[in-house]
Amino acid sequence: MKRDKPQVPQLPVLSQAVLEQERKMLLDLGNDITRVRDKNDLLFLFSRRLKRYFYFTHTIITLIDEKAGTYTPFLLDNESSPIRKHPMYPELIQAHFRLNEPFIQAILQAEGPVSFLLEDIMDQPGSPVFLKVNYEKGVREILMTKIMMGDKPMGFIHMYTDKPGSFTHEFKSVINGIVPQLSGAVSNIIKNEEIHKTEREKSFLLDFSNEIALVRSQTDLQAAIFKVLDKTMGTKLAMIRLIDDDNIHLSTFMCDPTLFGGTKATFDQMSNRKITIEEPYTSKVLASREGLIFNVAEEINSGNDYAKLWATTGLKNMYSFPLRVGDRNIGTIWLLANKLSKLLLKGICAQISIAIANIQANEKLLAYKKQLEDENDYLKEQIRTFYNFSEIVGNGAAMQEVYRLVSLVATSGTTVLVLGETGTGKELIARAIHNASTRRDKLMVKVNCAALPANLIESELFGHERGAFTGATDRHIGKFELANHSTLFLDEIGELPLEAQAKLLRVIQERELERVGGKQTIKVDVRLIAATNRHLEEAVRKGQFREDLYYRLNVFPVTLPPLRDRPEDIAPLANFFVQKYARNAGRKISQIAPGAIQQLNSYSWPGNVRELEHLIERSVLLSPDGILKDIDIPRKSMAVQQNPAYPTNRSLEEMERSYIIEVLKRCGGKISGVGGAAEVLQVPGNTLHSKIKKLGITKADYFARN
Amino acid sequence: MKIVVIGGSGLIGSKVVAKLNQAGHEVIAASPATGINTITGEGLDQALAGTDVVVDLANSPSFEDNAVMAFFRTAGNNLLPAEIKAGVKHHLALSIVGVDLMQDSGYMRAKKVQEDLIKQSGVPYTVIRSTQFFEFIGGIANQATEGNVVHISDLQFQPIAAEDVATFVAEAALAAPVNGIQEIAGPGRFTMPELITRYLKAGNDPRKVEPNQNLQYYGARISYAALVPAGQAKLGAIDFENWLSSQLANA
Repeated sequence: MKRDKPQVPQLPVLSQAVLEQERKMLLDLGNDITRVRDKNDLLFLFSRRLKRYFYFTHTIITLIDEKAGTYTPFLLDNESSPIRKHPMYPELIQAHFRLNEPFIQAILQAEGPVSFLLEDIMDQPGSPVFLKVNYEKGVREILMTKIMMGDKPMGFIHMYTDKPGSFTHEFKSVINGIVPQLSGAVSNIIKNEEIHKTEREKSFLLDFSNEIALVRSQTDLQAAIFKVLDKTMGTKLAMIRLIDDDNIHLSTFMCDPTLFGGTKATFDQMSNRKITIEEPYTSKVLASREGLIFNVAEEINSGNDYAKLWATTGLKNMYSFPLRVGDRNIGTIWLLANKLSKLLLKGICAQISIAIANIQANEKLLAYKKQLEDENDYLKEQIRTFYNFSEIVGNGAAMQEVYRLVSLVATSGTTVLVLGETGTGKELIARAIHNASTRRDKLMVKVNCAALPANLIESELFGHERGAFTGATDRHIGKFELANHSTLFLDEIGELPLEAQAKLLRVIQERELERVGGKQTIKVDVRLIAATNRHLEEAVRKGQFREDLYYRLNVFPVTLPPLRDRPEDIAPLANFFVQKYARNAGRKISQIAPGAIQQLNSYSWPGNVRELEHLIERSVLLSPDGILKDIDIPRKSMAVQQNPAYPTNRSLEEMERSYIIEVLKRCGGKISGVGGAAEVLQVPGNTLHSKIKKLGITKADYFARN
Repeated sequence: MKIVVIGGSGLIGSKVVAKLNQAGHEVIAASPATGINTITGEGLDQALAGTDVVVDLANSPSFEDNAVMAFFRTAGNNLLPAEIKAGVKHHLALSIVGVDLMQDSGYMRAKKVQEDLIKQSGVPYTVIRSTQFFEFIGGIANQATEGNVVHISDLQFQPIAAEDVATFVAEAALAAPVNGIQEIAGPGRFTMPELITRYLKAGNDPRKVEPNQNLQYYGARISYAALVPAGQAKLGAIDFENWLSSQLANA
């Protein structure tokens, strides 16, 4: 019996068939590897092929991250892994294991594959936790092999078995033989992934760009940004802040209020706080060329208040970028993420900047357009109305007093309360005050408090933010803001609902307001003129009008006299209106007949000047020649005048007599027979005869006037 | 030394007893025929009294899954406590290479139980795992024969001569216990179809060998390299050619 070198492992003589078989196995593996298209195929094919020859449970490939000094799972053999049900599995496949610990160093030092019994190594200090986890699921031995790229280790193949002794020499030598090909395949996959990633990022940017191009409003932009960041990149938009027109302050343009869940109050407080470009974080970001990355944990340690908020999301980094259009800073964007691609971010930020600039331009454009439209409306109204200061007619003593008051108060900014019956020309006086004031260059803004639905008054007066209530699709500038540096004329102030009165009071006192649904306080400089035909003091007594508001408004009351109290002005007013409407109607009416003037003077004018005006307008149209003779005084009074013969209290006999005469007239004097009066009256002919006799009705009564 | 060889009348046992006797030791070839029965416990205590080494080469009379498991479990549970009682210093058993990789097979499961009982018993031990014996080749061919065709999976195969096995066992019986596993195998590695083809040809057997990739061994699915040693193995001196010629000479 010959036995050579019994001490060293003896190697068997391999038969031709065995060599052939091993060669074929390596070739098959190589072929498989070159066929791999998808990264998960690689490990699947490798593992399936190898399992025909050798026993092992599962395998994974980890990659080295040299910069971080870690290695992390890259390809997983999910199907056969016994630990995939382990509670730590999801964490493990994402984990970064440190390279500077003895277990992995031993593998890096080794020439070829090394196997360990888990029992021997898993409890040693610094051993990675996956060893223990595998052991808990019945795995007993691990075979570790370096994958090389050039002469640098790129990663590891981990192979596991639940049967110690599975990793035979043959096994190791086959693995050793296949490593170069496997390394090639893995590095191909990595390069492929990089290319794909860049491609994806590019096409992603293109899509984003297309989407952004359609954006016209902040809502659209927000939707587009949230979609991109959250769904596609796993990133959360914390906030976009824009530099205000003053170039000093920044206000919140957009933020994700859902982001900080439980700490909403703090977040609201922080996001509402206006900051300046001098704020340390903002100034750093604005000064940076390509944005800054704040590590959340580090920021907490350095005492950054915001960072505590950031930490609630569980994301690791806060990325902040300056938003720029050309060289101009327009704001900052803050994104929370674990990791972001620089290229992608730069692209997205550039697009967001442009979109915001577009929206801002768009909003400005809309605001100007709205302003022009509003101004246009008022100008048209002013042209339509014939009222203006020079057209106030009347020189009576009562009016002289009004003129005096107007000229006294006009130049001051004092609130004026114009009182007077309907149709006495309160608006005319308001305009007169405005036109005589220093504010005359701007339009007087008029609000008819009686004409507005109660629930819209507030938004009409103070404006509203978009989304303040259902249907508030746009920001609306209130009349108060519109009347800034001008005069606001509140007509029919007595009709203002109580809640609106309270708001109005505040604006009058503070001279500042908030839009409905808005948070910003807006300072306004508005001169108020209020008017009413109601007895405000009485309304205050009845609780329909706030007393404090009444005193605020009743600073300088101007009471307009009713027309009946200034009969001396009726003739000049009538002439004025005749001229005006004659011109409009294209008639030549030069004067009013004295009788007509008499008619006008004797009327009580419950509708005051307005009634007079409309009466003249109608009379002008009805008048056929150059002199206005007949005035079409309202019917109720006409009826009384036209039938003076009808006393209001007539006896039955009188009624009977006049009715019989009327019927006789209609019947042409025929008393009885067919078509006779007796038939109409449904009395016998004789009876009618005797009634005629008794009442003393003669032929002259019913034949006299045609 | 007093050495008890359980299964001392079998293929390996008889050779081991002869070798140890030759070396001048007091050897008891134990088997039910000699009144020592590991299944009933009969005669064990007497035989083990004053024994230094027990070599367990017994095999189950039946290879049916349950029977074989019962055999090795009962034998271990009788033999090992008796050895402790008798103060035996070394227990040596013969097992199979790749036994824990072939747990598909009932026989392999039973052999694994036998190994585990030994490891847990507290008796200093040596487990020798051997590859298949050249002597089995004929049997392997027969169980895989259908008609005139032998259907054999292309498993790696490194069989050893029974003579070599006996030599290794005798050597180990006289050496200190390793408290672990020692693998032994033949000097050459083949594929199973290759070796069976040669075997049949040498015996002028007309059957054809048809290799397949089904990875089947006695009906159990195993991996391609399960039957060959994992790493450090002692290799026998007798290669297939030598063995074959000695067989033909005997015939």
